[in-house]
Amino acid sequence: MKAGFYPRMAANGMRKNGRLYAPYLVTCIMMVAVYYIFHFLGYSGIMDGMPGGHTATDMMRMGTYIMTLFGLLFLFYTQAALIRGRKKEFGLYSILGMNRFNLGRILFFETLFTWAAATAGGLIAGIGLSKLAELGFTRLIDVPVRYTFSVPMRSVLMTVLTYSAIFFLICLNSIRQVGFASPIELVTAEKAGEKPPRSNWVLGILGFASLGAGYFIALRIQQPMSALMWFLAAVILIMIGTYLLLIAGSVILCRMLQKNKNYYYRTNHFVSVSSMMYRMKRNGAGLASICILLTMILVMMSSTSSLYTGAEQCLDTRYPNEVGAFACKYGYDESLEDLGEKLDADLKAAAMEHGAKIINNKTFYEWSVSGYFDDSKLDIVLNSKSNLAFVNYDRVAQIIFIDVDVYNRVFGYHETVAPGEALVGTAKNIEIRDEITIGDVPFRVTKRIDDRVGEIDPAAKISACPGIYMIVKDVNEVAKNYIRYKDFDGAPMLAWFWECRFDTGLAPDEQAALADTLNTRINEELQPLDFDNCYCESHEAERGDFVSTFGGLFFLGLLLSLIFLISCVIIMYYKQISEGFEDQSRFDIMQKVGMTKEDIRRSVNSQMRTVFLIPILFACLHLAVVLPIVQKLLMLFGLFDIPRLILCSVVCVLICGMVYSVIYRATSNAYYRIVS
Amino acid sequence: MSLLEAKEIRKTYKTRFGGASVEALKGVSFTVEKGEYVAIMGESGSGKTTLLNIIAALDRPTEGTVVLDGMELSSVRDSDLARFRRDNLGYVFQDFNLLDTFSLEDNIYLPLVLAGMKAEEMKKRLDDLAAPLGIGDLLKKYPYEVSGGQKQRAAVARALITDPRIILADEPTGALDSKSSDELLDLFAEVNRMGHTILMVTHSTRAASRASRVMFIRDGVVFHQIYRGDATDQQMYQKISDALTLLAQDGDGR
Repeated sequence: MKAGFYPRMAANGMRKNGRLYAPYLVTCIMMVAVYYIFHFLGYSGIMDGMPGGHTATDMMRMGTYIMTLFGLLFLFYTQAALIRGRKKEFGLYSILGMNRFNLGRILFFETLFTWAAATAGGLIAGIGLSKLAELGFTRLIDVPVRYTFSVPMRSVLMTVLTYSAIFFLICLNSIRQVGFASPIELVTAEKAGEKPPRSNWVLGILGFASLGAGYFIALRIQQPMSALMWFLAAVILIMIGTYLLLIAGSVILCRMLQKNKNYYYRTNHFVSVSSMMYRMKRNGAGLASICILLTMILVMMSSTSSLYTGAEQCLDTRYPNEVGAFACKYGYDESLEDLGEKLDADLKAAAMEHGAKIINNKTFYEWSVSGYFDDSKLDIVLNSKSNLAFVNYDRVAQIIFIDVDVYNRVFGYHETVAPGEALVGTAKNIEIRDEITIGDVPFRVTKRIDDRVGEIDPAAKISACPGIYMIVKDVNEVAKNYIRYKDFDGAPMLAWFWECRFDTGLAPDEQAALADTLNTRINEELQPLDFDNCYCESHEAERGDFVSTFGGLFFLGLLLSLIFLISCVIIMYYKQISEGFEDQSRFDIMQKVGMTKEDIRRSVNSQMRTVFLIPILFACLHLAVVLPIVQKLLMLFGLFDIPRLILCSVVCVLICGMVYSVIYRATSNAYYRIVS
Repeated sequence: MSLLEAKEIRKTYKTRFGGASVEALKGVSFTVEKGEYVAIMGESGSGKTTLLNIIAALDRPTEGTVVLDGMELSSVRDSDLARFRRDNLGYVFQDFNLLDTFSLEDNIYLPLVLAGMKAEEMKKRLDDLAAPLGIGDLLKKYPYEVSGGQKQRAAVARALITDPRIILADEPTGALDSKSSDELLDLFAEVNRMGHTILMVTHSTRAASRASRVMFIRDGVVFHQIYRGDATDQQMYQKISDALTLLAQDGDGR
């Protein structure tokens, strides 16, 4: 036999079935592109350094896992349906004398071509779309773009590897389907309806259990960032559960509808229910894919749109005053308190020079140690140089000591604290007993000031690391207890923080200018003193950053949603078109028996109504379950506005539902045109 | 008045590029009385299937009229044709035309469901039919699970269940082996005895020999007719064979 025979056979087969292969190929390309984009955003580091960038990066990394699983499930079913339609052809080859091995080779080359086209096309599409995103950023937002797009080899490589593995599995599955059937089985396969899965009830119960477990985990997660693995597990369980439940459920639903004679034997329902029954597994898988895509769209859109619309609020939370200065130094030093006062005086003087009034002044210093907090005891093991990758976020806490006199003066209280006592407050959900031990020094908790923590640090709720605020007598004496704690490099664990915030009564652009001046000033003063960190920032100057970041995220959400939507359209189109070609001859017969065009129209509509709502209802349910997690994630970006999130979700559901129904109508029209 | 009256039916097919036109039917006229069992014979290409399709309102004649029970087919609007077929005609096809998506039972119900009949009423009708047709045990099966003869019996049940004015059969034995063919022809005879009018197109002498009248079509016209009279099936078979021989010789002689 001539070389190149099998590749040619494979290519011919694909070309002749172009009607079915073209949408399949486009689907593959989309899936590869989506994977690439997720991997690119998750691993290229372009989102580092923006507010909440860590969260977004982690989400994208999780997205790559989810897209791998989804791609596998989704392409498996699409391809299985494709092979099914071609079994007759393979049966014929096999009658004409091809053995299993020969057929396997044809299938191998077909998968190889699909793989090559899909990865090449997908990578080009992915890279193109990320460029598009870049253009979108610059167009949408007039501030300088902070993301530059490149083509990281790592993402390209991972995409190719992942999809090679997926296509390898797909190839094995198609060889299994074709290779292990007798020629006659293959020839008649198209006629026989799909058999219900053998253990349908088991499948249903399994799906139910998986979905339930996923929901349970999702609802129990308190700290999404520390429980990222759990979150991923929940998402995967929900996905698998959706597939199993919808596959088993659609069989059960069809059976029930068929049993109900008064429903089944109606002109509208008769044809639709029976053809749903005929291809029930595929139907369920298709619905589940649509449902998962819709869920992803809804989650992305509702979270990014509420961030975008709530950017101002996030800004206010993080930068409560017009101007703020901040300094940080590790290690104990007697002179720091005086330095703080000098710094304060210098900055205020510079501000007055600028014509600013000093309003709502909040200037104070604090001592801080961090470590693992268990059972009301802090084990001091962390500082800013710790490798945070190995930190168990569930147990971490940062202790902030503030002197009671400073506290009373700055925040206007009249508290008294004796040595060995403390007022304690936290914005996070941490259990604190009547006695709290920091290092080896115990403090008696005389009063909780949880509701006043926001005054000290407006971002207390946002920070990934939970803070515990302790108001103590003679804070410098307390701090001395912690001088001896050092890390492996001998660097001190104790940190001194100085913070100064005030409003100016200046015009917005002057506020930004003032912050610039102060920033230069504070750096000039503190750089020589070997400070670990110092800066001055203004509410106004940060606005651009916030808007560009959240606008960028929103745009990204839109872009990814659009891709998912297109995938959704392709699935529906593919489903309707392939079913349409299958049903063509059936409707032909039915017209001969006396089915009118209206009957066809009505039965198509009935099918649409029966299956239309299922994916979107399930997607809404999924959204409702993950919304609490989304809310907690948004808190890390500084958004606490739950009503806004709910409103955004509702709007997204409505828009999505509308778009979805338009698509459904259009694709069912395509189906109608084919069959009538 | 006759149940079915075909007057001067002509059907001309134009070739695609408007070249020479082909006359499939060149003025066919005949009548079928109620309760008759008529077979139309002819070689392939003689126009017999075209004729049947025109009578079944699946196709429109170029000229001429078909009147079924006083209704002129050409007066039925296109949009009502499907309904008209469903209510008045029972069609048995050579290749059965059963739907893979339905069980035999549901295949038989199809025209009734399209007519919007209640489930109980349909069940009653099928119960009356299933026993004589011998498909009582097969109803829950799917078409790909039963033999050709069984499929065709289900198709006959589907044609009968609407209680049509006339049953049209296009080569009903064409895809069947001889045993199944005989069984089906017995069934047709039985159905005819029950009072149904049957118009069957066939080129099988054996099938035609069971009819009460045989029409021969050649080159688009009704060429010859044979009435059974009191003849047995065997005698009828002989008569038809003779006629076919004559026809063939005559044709060659021209």
